[in-house]
Amino acid sequence: MLLTCRRVAYAIASIAACAVTPAAQAKPIAFAHGTTVMGEYGAGTMTEVQAFYAPTYRYSLGVSHLTLDSAVEPATREVSYFRANYLPKRWNLESAQANAFVWAGIGRAHIGETSDDQFAWNVGGQLDYETRRVYASLRTDLHEASAYSHRIDTLQLGFAPYQHDYQTLAVWFVIQARQYTGDLFHGTEYAALLRLFKRNAWLEAGATEDGKLQAMLMFNF
Amino acid sequence: MTSRRIALLLLAALTAANASAATIELTVNGLVCGFCAQGIEKTLRRNAATDDVFVSLENRLVAVATKPETDIPDDVLRKALQDAGYDVKAITRTDRSLQALREQMKARK
Repeated sequence: MLLTCRRVAYAIASIAACAVTPAAQAKPIAFAHGTTVMGEYGAGTMTEVQAFYAPTYRYSLGVSHLTLDSAVEPATREVSYFRANYLPKRWNLESAQANAFVWAGIGRAHIGETSDDQFAWNVGGQLDYETRRVYASLRTDLHEASAYSHRIDTLQLGFAPYQHDYQTLAVWFVIQARQYTGDLFHGTEYAALLRLFKRNAWLEAGATEDGKLQAMLMFNF
Repeated sequence: MTSRRIALLLLAALTAANASAATIELTVNGLVCGFCAQGIEKTLRRNAATDDVFVSLENRLVAVATKPETDIPDDVLRKALQDAGYDVKAITRTDRSLQALREQMKARK
């Protein structure tokens, strides 16, 4: 009971923290009537594939599949969610934009060690700020089931060597710091990334300090 | 005599078409990335009066060329941009074509 209360309190605190802390990563809502498909390979510890459709720029609905593979102990989780994303606040400034996103999902988790299938839920949020030259995002993602509790916090800071325009290739150098809880990874995982995007396609790839691949692909249409 | 009348009629028709095929320029806040531009372009192209759309992040500009004899009212444009998640700061109507606008923006770089 105490544990459940603590998890719920944490979930609320995570969303609240996201709502007040300034920060963008790939966005779960691209634009109204837009479909977003994205996949991320997180240095062997997490792999996620997501697909969302946004009826308006305020929210999107879709599915995601997440694989967590502990770098610390032999533990794996395969989680499939139905997820809703919501944009409670956007700040459109003269030469900048900031967003606060929150999301929640429910689904099934397969626990590798015990071969159990369990009900699973997920809440998270993201704050981002970007101009055509600098970019910052803070994202937190809580994954819960009776067998586990994992939180993945990701901070990204980016710099563009030149200001791209709509028809030109956007190039970003990004530093990422990520922390996992629940014995998925000990310490903070740092990665240096190169991000490229043009029109509807986004590619981000780099390496962690251990030399592992960190990559993300995203398409909007 | 007949050929002069035909030439005059053609000239009048061309002048009328040019006068009504306007370019609407919108100054937009929050326009910082290609995905923003893509969403706005997609939204505006859904309007039956839209002939072409040009977006310049550098100039915070969204320009819409309308089809001959058509227009898109300001409130419709503001709502379309708001529904796409952006704020319109100003709307002006100009005679310069979208092509001229593209070339002008290109020359500025």
